[in-house]
Amino acid sequence: MLAELGFIATFLAFVAALYAAGIALYSVRRRDERLLLSARNAALATLPLLSVSLGALLIALLTEQYQIAYVWNVTDPNTPTFYRVTALWGAQAGSLLFWSGIMSAFAFGTIALNWQAQRRLMPYVIVYTMLILASFLALSLFFENPFERYWIMPDNSVAKSVFAFGGAVPPAAARLAETANGLNPLLRHFGMIVHPPLLYMGFVGFLIPFAFAMAALASGDLSTNWIRATRRWTLLAWLSLSLGLVLGGRWAYDVLGWGGWWGWDPVENAAFLPWLLGTAFLHSVMIQEKRGMLKVWNMFLILGTFSAVIFGTFATRSGLVDSVHSFARSAIGFPLFFFWFSISAISLGMLLWRWRRGELRDERRLHGLLSRESLFVLNNIVFVMLFIAVFWGSFGAPIFSELFMGTTITLGKDYFLQVTPPLFLALFILMGIAPLSAWSATTLVRLGRALIVPALLAALVVALLALMQPTEPLVLLIYGVIALSGTVALWETVRGAAARHKTLGEQWHTALMALVARNRRRYGGYLIHLSIAVLGIGALGSELYQQETQRTLAVGQSLKLGGYVMRYDGFLGGQIADDGRIMDIAQVTVLRDGREIAQLRPRRDFYPNAEGMNTMTIPAAHSTLENDFYVLLVDWEPISAGSATFKVFINPLINLIWWGSLLLVFGTLIGMYPDERVALAAAGAAQPSRLAGVKA
Amino acid sequence: MNRLLKIGVMLLCLAIALSAVTLSAFAQDDPRRPVTDDEVNAVSKKLYCPVCENITLDTCGTLACAQWREEVRILLSEGKTPEQVIENFVMRFGDRVVGTPADPTLRALALITPWLLSALVLLATGAVFLRWRKERPAAAPSAPEAKAATSVRTFAEYRARIEADLAARR
Repeated sequence: MLAELGFIATFLAFVAALYAAGIALYSVRRRDERLLLSARNAALATLPLLSVSLGALLIALLTEQYQIAYVWNVTDPNTPTFYRVTALWGAQAGSLLFWSGIMSAFAFGTIALNWQAQRRLMPYVIVYTMLILASFLALSLFFENPFERYWIMPDNSVAKSVFAFGGAVPPAAARLAETANGLNPLLRHFGMIVHPPLLYMGFVGFLIPFAFAMAALASGDLSTNWIRATRRWTLLAWLSLSLGLVLGGRWAYDVLGWGGWWGWDPVENAAFLPWLLGTAFLHSVMIQEKRGMLKVWNMFLILGTFSAVIFGTFATRSGLVDSVHSFARSAIGFPLFFFWFSISAISLGMLLWRWRRGELRDERRLHGLLSRESLFVLNNIVFVMLFIAVFWGSFGAPIFSELFMGTTITLGKDYFLQVTPPLFLALFILMGIAPLSAWSATTLVRLGRALIVPALLAALVVALLALMQPTEPLVLLIYGVIALSGTVALWETVRGAAARHKTLGEQWHTALMALVARNRRRYGGYLIHLSIAVLGIGALGSELYQQETQRTLAVGQSLKLGGYVMRYDGFLGGQIADDGRIMDIAQVTVLRDGREIAQLRPRRDFYPNAEGMNTMTIPAAHSTLENDFYVLLVDWEPISAGSATFKVFINPLINLIWWGSLLLVFGTLIGMYPDERVALAAAGAAQPSRLAGVKA
Repeated sequence: MNRLLKIGVMLLCLAIALSAVTLSAFAQDDPRRPVTDDEVNAVSKKLYCPVCENITLDTCGTLACAQWREEVRILLSEGKTPEQVIENFVMRFGDRVVGTPADPTLRALALITPWLLSALVLLATGAVFLRWRKERPAAAPSAPEAKAATSVRTFAEYRARIEADLAARR
């Protein structure tokens, strides 16, 4: 019943999406408002329909409907309720449907909120959002159907189909439960409740600015309307993607057991690529809004961002990452490749068409090299160079060498640590300078004067870092550059509040609140800059000054690392958890200056029912602002466990990464919060504004 | 008797000392040396698992990788340098086991290409920028685009524009 309900609801959503796209396009040709309303209603209907299909799958997971192949594949009778919920996106078929569900929610929100204000663009927005939604639903319906069920055929073979056919009977429920696969052990982490949804929201969220950009190109309304309509959607997508990336790093740190958080793995990079272009876009649209410049470039960036989203999805879901030829073996490899290619070619074609017609001409030109526009353009160039470097390392070089040189290569951390640091440094320099420069033109002297106080503050941060950890002069300089990008943001905010405090006599906190309220976008942006500086210092410190050692210790023996002592106290083998996994736990005590500071329990979990990778090394860590003392249980003496082997890391400043990401959330939320001016403008623009010639 | 016993003990000690010296000389001839886990990990960190993608040998949990780590230990204990151990793996499994290819052509392709592409982007930007500096500021686009571009930002601006329009009509 649940399988049929879910499948039919998905199919109806697919039909509704296709209908909405077709009728919306037809309504533009016929200039018929009633047809457009019909298209809008069909587009809105996709959300409740997909809620039904996702609800059916979720209920099937929670009520152990193992006849549904997806449920059998990602849960077993021992799976706790928490992981039954996260299993909804725990494998390809479920996550694709979940992806479509989020996409329909974004489309619903956009259509509902922008219907009055953006009537000229809305028909095309419906066309593009619904066509893309229909494409993803087609993958779910025809290639990765999460509602397929197991059937025993008359000849005793096993078949998979949503509906029973040809004398098929369902397998015995007890047998299905007994053999159920269970969730991939790697995905059994509390972060799985938020990491994939946030990442998907980040990916899917960029659909909205993409659809508006395409709508602007199709309709010829090439003003800044599409940018204004999508600014918050873009920020929401960017925030979700940023948090998805950081939480993915945290998951790797907690689960993968290699002592780091970012490994430059192609799957990580596939999510990082749209983030790079999306961040460049967020900066460059400001120039179009303020100065009427970079119209083609902004279009290119947002079309590229969404293209990168689809490419990343194709690369990670098709198996391209493992081998350039393996995507042929994946059911969705070719359809996704075709979809990505079509989307990219159509959007690029539309952009070139408008460009050649001279309709995207800039209203002003760049003149001063130190003007804010020029520095923003430079920032964009560096983002694009980073995009090229990361894309080449993750996909370009491996594909090129395999296709044209007949050899397989891996470009790993070595490559990325050689190519990307100068580019990141350039970005931090620009982050430090650009907020101080003025629109149109700035002199070097003025810029230098404005940098004095932030530079002194940055020097203070560097001195603090040098006290915490002996550091080489070059690294201190780099710390200084990163810190400067944060102190500039901080100082600009304090200076603004001080001006209000002095001239208006406001209390400091009132002055600060009023300042932020007057320009939430700017001060939210400054907080984001500060958060990126904090995150950058954490990433640099943990990468450059990580210490590690591996030792085998007998019970009572100790090892020393970076001022810490770790004593092996004992071992608890064969502990069985509620979910059926078997845990082997080492007990260690961490001491510093002769004083016990923590008792840790690094462990190894074994999942008896899981196929493939069934063992997980779960680290234990003692965290402080200064560093993490991070312990992995590598091995132990069988039976007696009289000795055990540990890998121990000291990760300096790593916690700044997590705390920096919290600041990033606050900053983005401040930037997204609508201010009074915008609300009034929206009220003004919300007056009925039908397109000329449209029939009522 | 007691004296004989003392002499016997002394001779025994001497024999043990001599044999220890002799044995230590033999031990120095043995090419193998003890290798710590940290030395193995330092090399394994630079090697990628030849069968599973994008996982370094020091973190890979498969049995095959445990055996390869043991090979690293043996090679190091035989006196091979870390570079020689890496070369050994590259010869056997190809350039996919290192983070940047050892083959000079592949290495150049891998490391220079992103900079070449970036240089092209920079050149293109520079050319556009120079052209813009030479040009006079272009007039705002005409016709419908320009009208659409002047979208209403605030209610106050909207009101001001309406007032201005009304004043012009009077």
